[in-house]
Amino acid sequence: MTTNATTIASRLSLIAPELLRGLVPTMIINLLCAVVVTYLMRIGAGFVENLVFSMCIGTTAMVLIDCGRIFLWGKDEPNKPGFFLMLLIFAPLSFFIGNAIASALIGRPIEWFTLSQANNTIGIIVLILLVCVGATLFYWNREKMAALEARNVIIEKQAVQAQLQMLQAQIEPHMLFNTLATLQTLISTEPIRAQQMLDQLIHYLRATLSTSRSTQTSLGQEFELTSAYLGLMSLRMGLRLTYSLQLPDELKPTPIAPMLLQPLVENAIRHGLEPKIEGGDCTVRVNVHDGMLIVSVFDTGMGLSTTTSYNKPESIHLGLENIRARLDALYGPLAELTLTHNIPQGTVAQITIPLTALDPNPTR
Amino acid sequence: MTTLAARALIAEDEALLAAALSAALQRLWPELEIIGVAANGIEAVDHALAAQPDIVFFDIKMPGKSGLEAARELADEWPEEQTFPLLVFVTAYDDYAVQAFEQAAIDYVLKPANDERLAKTVERLQARLAQNRKTGNPGNTSDDMERVLQQLRGITPVPAAQERLRMIRAAVGNQIKLIPIEEVIYFEATDKYVNVVTAGSESLIRTSLKELIPQLDPDQFWQIHRGTVVRIAQVQSAQRDEAGKLSLRLRTRPETLAVSRLFTHLFKQM
Repeated sequence: MTTNATTIASRLSLIAPELLRGLVPTMIINLLCAVVVTYLMRIGAGFVENLVFSMCIGTTAMVLIDCGRIFLWGKDEPNKPGFFLMLLIFAPLSFFIGNAIASALIGRPIEWFTLSQANNTIGIIVLILLVCVGATLFYWNREKMAALEARNVIIEKQAVQAQLQMLQAQIEPHMLFNTLATLQTLISTEPIRAQQMLDQLIHYLRATLSTSRSTQTSLGQEFELTSAYLGLMSLRMGLRLTYSLQLPDELKPTPIAPMLLQPLVENAIRHGLEPKIEGGDCTVRVNVHDGMLIVSVFDTGMGLSTTTSYNKPESIHLGLENIRARLDALYGPLAELTLTHNIPQGTVAQITIPLTALDPNPTR
Repeated sequence: MTTLAARALIAEDEALLAAALSAALQRLWPELEIIGVAANGIEAVDHALAAQPDIVFFDIKMPGKSGLEAARELADEWPEEQTFPLLVFVTAYDDYAVQAFEQAAIDYVLKPANDERLAKTVERLQARLAQNRKTGNPGNTSDDMERVLQQLRGITPVPAAQERLRMIRAAVGNQIKLIPIEEVIYFEATDKYVNVVTAGSESLIRTSLKELIPQLDPDQFWQIHRGTVVRIAQVQSAQRDEAGKLSLRLRTRPETLAVSRLFTHLFKQM
């Protein structure tokens, strides 16, 4: 019972916008019908009076059909035979109701169905029926186009996701083999540390491979992946790498697309700290400011080159471009990635996403 | 197996891996003395020049200088009268490098190294050392050195073609000076800058030679030294001094430019 009531309520709420949307086209069709009736069919007392009748009948027909459609089928596509049957009933009905309203407006007694006008009445009802069918077909096509466009948007998103999965499949072999080499060494010399490192590696591989199967993960999970990665790297780099991860507890469940944070951390290591002789520090921090989620990766490494731009759309840095493209596709134009100089040295990579765009089930 | 004593330097930035390689070598070649571990490319060159090992193991990916860059620099700086060390490159995973090593017939080991593979390398190194010592070769024959240089030239990474630079923008005081590339006679790397030399001026730009080279026309600009790229049309002559060092005389500048060993083959007579 309650579910029925809620479906009816939700369907009711659909009607108003649908009617509003149909109003202007209906008015235009009504105007055309008045012209046809007056000058082609040559019925009635003149254009102005016919226009009043046409408006009343046409609008009634639109209201009846829209209400009928939404009550019977909701937002789904109506089945065609049922719909045309409905038109067959609603066309004469709207004629009679519209006729009554128009007569009342003009202040004339209602002329129902006098014998002398029988032919005209049937002609007009046929006209209404034709117009209704025509308008319906037109709308159906338009809706199909819209549905097609919506599908394209979805396909585009899927393409972005597919690209992402390809990206994830590329666990950098260099990193993997170096880690295995270290592990091989530790097994014989320091079995306990080897065990720790193997745990980190398993953690990293599991997190990387499992996020590649889902399209959405949480900041908490992303941080676990980052922590495993940095743990591995610090074992390898020894004293050359220090790191800290700062994620407030309340932000842990925040949904986020995978592989936005991780590439930035890997960049900080690979381009910032690994090439630097004395190494340095990597800090990952998340905070919320002004309705924006801000994910920052600070490193004290080599810093940005002064001769290339990292923030222009035409920049040649493919990894960064990929992140930007995905931010745009998933979270809209307000989401962005910027790279700036860290003070006194190194790089800050920052992702900004409007909190409102972080819907776990984006339907945009 | 004949064993012989030798001294080796390991250049590897990851301490654990350096220790592992060292331990494996000790197992397979007890007479080999590991004289030290260099944690980056710059240290590796300095250490090798100072200690004059028989063998250097170069990790490819190191901070400061890559293994290849370090090896090239070592070849440039190595004293003429000493035997150049045998080089072995070590890499975790690098298809391109491995292919290049195969082609240039350079020794390499993959990380994680297994004893079997490393044993083959050790065998080969021992054979070569024994041969060198049997011939009583006191120093480098120029042929040996040339062979090493040839190998190192063979694995020069080819820079991806980039858009050619037409105008150099150099900061002079608080203004930017524009120098058409046609006026440049040579580029000279200093610490963090590159000195752009024209007939009548010198200006510094904040970039590295490594970043600059791919943007220059290789038909017009030749690299003749780690730190020098010259417009070849500006070179008047090349001459050797008593020490055998090659240098270039320029048409419109008084100074001469040194050619490093790696690039002397560019100036052989026709």
